[in-house]
Amino acid sequence: MLKKTEKQVDLGLRQFIKDLGYISGGAALLSTIPWLQSFTPDTLNEIKNEKARIAVIGTGSRGQYHIHALLPMQHAEIVALCDIYPPNLEEASKLCPTARKYTDYRKLLESPDIDGVVIATPLNWHAPIVLDALSAGKHAFCEKSMALTMDQCKAIYDAYQKTNKVLYFCMQRMFDEKYIKGMQMIHSGLIGDVVGLRCHWFRNHDWRRPVPSANLERQINWRLYRDSSAGLMTELATHQLEVCNWATKRIPQSVVGMGDIVNWKDGREVYDSVSLTYRYSSGVKITYESLISNKFNGMEDQVLGNKGTMNLATGMYYLEGVDNTGNSGIEQLLSQIGNKVFAAIPAAGSSWRPETKKEYKPHYIIEGDYNINDGLSMIGAVKDGSDEILSAFCQACITGEKGKDIVEEAYCATLLCLLGNQAMDEQRRIDFPDEYKIPYMNF
Amino acid sequence: MRSSFDQYFDDSQVFHGSLTEIMGTRFDLVIVGKSRDISGIVWQSMTRELERLDAMLNRFVPSTEISVINKTAATSPVNVSEEMWEILCNCRTYHQKTFGLFDITLKDFSKLELHAEERTVSFQQPNLFLDFGGYAKGYAMKQLKAILEDYKVENCFVDFGNSAIFALGHHPYGDSWKVSIENPFHKGEILGEFTLNNTALSTSGNTPSYTGHIVNPLSGEKIEDRVMLCVESEDPLDAEVLTTALIAADNHQTEKIVSQFDLKQTKKFNL
Repeated sequence: MLKKTEKQVDLGLRQFIKDLGYISGGAALLSTIPWLQSFTPDTLNEIKNEKARIAVIGTGSRGQYHIHALLPMQHAEIVALCDIYPPNLEEASKLCPTARKYTDYRKLLESPDIDGVVIATPLNWHAPIVLDALSAGKHAFCEKSMALTMDQCKAIYDAYQKTNKVLYFCMQRMFDEKYIKGMQMIHSGLIGDVVGLRCHWFRNHDWRRPVPSANLERQINWRLYRDSSAGLMTELATHQLEVCNWATKRIPQSVVGMGDIVNWKDGREVYDSVSLTYRYSSGVKITYESLISNKFNGMEDQVLGNKGTMNLATGMYYLEGVDNTGNSGIEQLLSQIGNKVFAAIPAAGSSWRPETKKEYKPHYIIEGDYNINDGLSMIGAVKDGSDEILSAFCQACITGEKGKDIVEEAYCATLLCLLGNQAMDEQRRIDFPDEYKIPYMNF
Repeated sequence: MRSSFDQYFDDSQVFHGSLTEIMGTRFDLVIVGKSRDISGIVWQSMTRELERLDAMLNRFVPSTEISVINKTAATSPVNVSEEMWEILCNCRTYHQKTFGLFDITLKDFSKLELHAEERTVSFQQPNLFLDFGGYAKGYAMKQLKAILEDYKVENCFVDFGNSAIFALGHHPYGDSWKVSIENPFHKGEILGEFTLNNTALSTSGNTPSYTGHIVNPLSGEKIEDRVMLCVESEDPLDAEVLTTALIAADNHQTEKIVSQFDLKQTKKFNL
């Protein structure tokens, strides 16, 4: 068993949040990330003698990823594990041998010594387990997306309004330092007005796991079938659409799109190629694309402003205007001649820059080392905020403090994914349905 | 990707051509008082010449003559073209006249051997390479000047990425071409103004976004001072070479170097 380490893995982000309190305007910045208000080293210190008793439901690759994050956490203790697939349960059990093993999550929920559950099951199980966990009086942390259908999402959202329990969905970009800082730059006007958003996620992989026997195909490759998965939208796009909502503080009114199975014609039911356009009431659009038979373009979340571009996934931003294009000396000369004026042509030591993409000079959102998710892993990237959000959940299991906006952001992002799928399935424009609107949404 | 663009203004008889990504920068030409046809022909010849030179002198493209030299001259002597030979000899002369401060090897020119009889070059040291960064634009300007003379262009403004400028004749509404130098560290602050009339102006220095790209070949140290150096001369190549050399020179060296050339003026700005 791994030893609890002295140093918390999430101290970097905690210190960053604490430091925000010391700088001028820090309070205003902090108000844009309310879910992080108590994610500080001080809160961690206050609970240093306590442990959240955690059960992990779904101990496949992503569940084990969370177990690895939980093991060194001083304020967490894994007390139970649950999976219906024995090899995964055994593997997880090797990581935490003292944890009790379950194959029925309902039995697990009856156990009084569990404070919170971490749910990393196929998507169709999110809603039943989350709802049962909340009714059983457990705090819950669930993988994204929120649920398989819009009705299930609404049921979870409604249940959350009535409970005093903590509920988190793993929208890890909300805990990723470069996204947080990048968003603050966007909200402070660095890139001007947001005039467009471009997100994409490209891989070249069949998205399959090896299957030991044919009857386990649907269980193991659940991502590929409609009764357990909504495909690329809920598995990948959900994070990126959340970023768009976060950046614009708005929800798109409508979506059009096309989805197809272009390359992996292996009996799967979900698209391997999707292209969608989401439109806000202002006319600003999100262009979303995902393809899993070519990885040239990688994964990027770009927020386009009239004064610059924030490329959140790569941690860089680019400014329009003087740095790159501006009114160059030659343009001024031509305009002088047109106006019959003789004046000096401005020249500086730096070269005039042509208006090409390549010539944009990148600026870094964060100085020093930071991690970039290349988007290729099917389990999770290193230091992408997942560990931090899990740590915040464990802290909340002790303090009882609800995570502000997290459920709402997950709800909005998931609804957009599911509406996108509907638009592609029905090949028509879908307007955001009134029955799924919540007060949190601004259109 | 390289792209070329041109336009002609009939009422003022002004031609403007622009070429992106040539010798690592942008190139602009403004011709005044010539017909659309003649201007277009001049522009074509210039574009062709620039592309030819880029294909010879750009060390970042593997197929160029300079790249072949850089790749193989440490192992065996490389036969070079007549033009390359002239250029290398010319660089040697500049190296001598600047007391080593202009150096296409960026560290030790003595390790570059030129064998006149066979017209070959070899490196007496591994990891040596040649860089025409402080030379190529000036050389190109000289070639372009010849084209302009061939077509009897009398009034024009030629600009290489803002750092190498050459102007013939005068502005349509003035008696010369005026260029102002802005402090790259303080937007809007004008450091000085140059009046160009059949002269070239080269500028080099550090900017906030591009610092430490100039190396003193004698000490090997990067020059990170906030200085900007401008050299004006009738010879665009002298101007280009000296602006690089003088930025590394002390006052005494500057005096001795400048005395060997026929320059119109040199100016050093502390930023």
